[in-house]
Amino acid sequence: MQAFERELLTLLPRLRRFARALARDSADADDLLQVALERALKARDQWAAGTRLDAWMMRIVRNCWIDEMRSRTRRARTFVPEEEGEMTGVDMQAELDARAEMHAVDRAMANLSPEQREVIALVLVEGLAYREAAELLEIPIGTLTSRLTRGRQALAQMLEAA
Amino acid sequence: MMTIDDDMLMAFVDGELDEVSRARVERAVVEDPVLMDRLEQQKRLRERLAAHYGPTAEEEVPERFRAMLESNVVALPAAAPRIGRPVWQSLTALAATLVLGLAIGRTLLAPTPAAGPLAVEGGVMVARGELAQALDTQLASAQPRDAATRIGVTFANNDGRPCRTFDSPAAAGIACHGDTGWQVMMTAAGSGRQRADYRQAGSENLLVQQTAQEMMAGEPYDDAAERRARDSGWRSNTPRR
Repeated sequence: MQAFERELLTLLPRLRRFARALARDSADADDLLQVALERALKARDQWAAGTRLDAWMMRIVRNCWIDEMRSRTRRARTFVPEEEGEMTGVDMQAELDARAEMHAVDRAMANLSPEQREVIALVLVEGLAYREAAELLEIPIGTLTSRLTRGRQALAQMLEAA
Repeated sequence: MMTIDDDMLMAFVDGELDEVSRARVERAVVEDPVLMDRLEQQKRLRERLAAHYGPTAEEEVPERFRAMLESNVVALPAAAPRIGRPVWQSLTALAATLVLGLAIGRTLLAPTPAAGPLAVEGGVMVARGELAQALDTQLASAQPRDAATRIGVTFANNDGRPCRTFDSPAAAGIACHGDTGWQVMMTAAGSGRQRADYRQAGSENLLVQQTAQEMMAGEPYDDAAERRARDSGWRSNTPRR
């Protein structure tokens, strides 16, 4: 095993937690991590040795998650955006059943917009500094903090009401 | 009273404020029970997320991810350029670790060749007993979970001799196979642990790992190459992959 794989190995627990915070349950999270690892191993030449592998890898996990969300949306166009909180027919029932089974925290996270969920996962779960998280997502700090504030307010509301 | 907006309160919770602003928030919180409530709410949220997601990072990582990384080596181009130090520098480093190793090793040396894990024969340190046995027979890919000595990586050094890293309660180190059996090239303090999930020997012993990296010609053996090397009796000049 080379340094790249070895370092990646030590990052796995954290990456798994990050994937877990993005995905809706542990099975989805591990699927996400698998896809991300495959992508990372293929793209390993693009990682510049000496730069932070954790940030590079988290970006890949995040991008894979976004791709997965998009393809899910394409597969099931009956789903309206989650913020509107409305779904139709059979899908709605299936989705409601699935959500009833979910842990309160997962459910609350699933109700956030993807933009809010990823900043919560990076800053509150993974403990990244604002600057690090903003760089990773390639957004201005102000955008990051406003998403963070709104995401947090929504989470606190949902969790305290439950 | 100073107003503290949500952004500022959250930056406070996240440890993103400079000292002056932090002191301002701290003062304001003391004076304002409503603000105190909001702060407590934010702290509860953080704790709740940590309690929910934290355990994932504590769990043992599923084997399939580990396997993906471990098997990736095989798929790599065999001739990845090694940006090594000049040989003499590596040798100096190696000599230094060897001296250190001897200092540690002395306490482990057996009074008679057969008793302890290490012995000195003709001026070189060699593996004996259980350690020699493990080096001879144990495959990193299939070691008993409760094995006292764990084998880490197996590789060929610049002379084409097969070398293996090991970790036992008594000592960790690197041994290379030669005419007199397993010559111990360096030792370091062993992990001395009996953790059941402790798979990769030496994975936490940086000194051993770094030295192995320095000594390595090409890539570490994969499972098949390790098995072939064992079955051939640890012959030297194993063709480099």
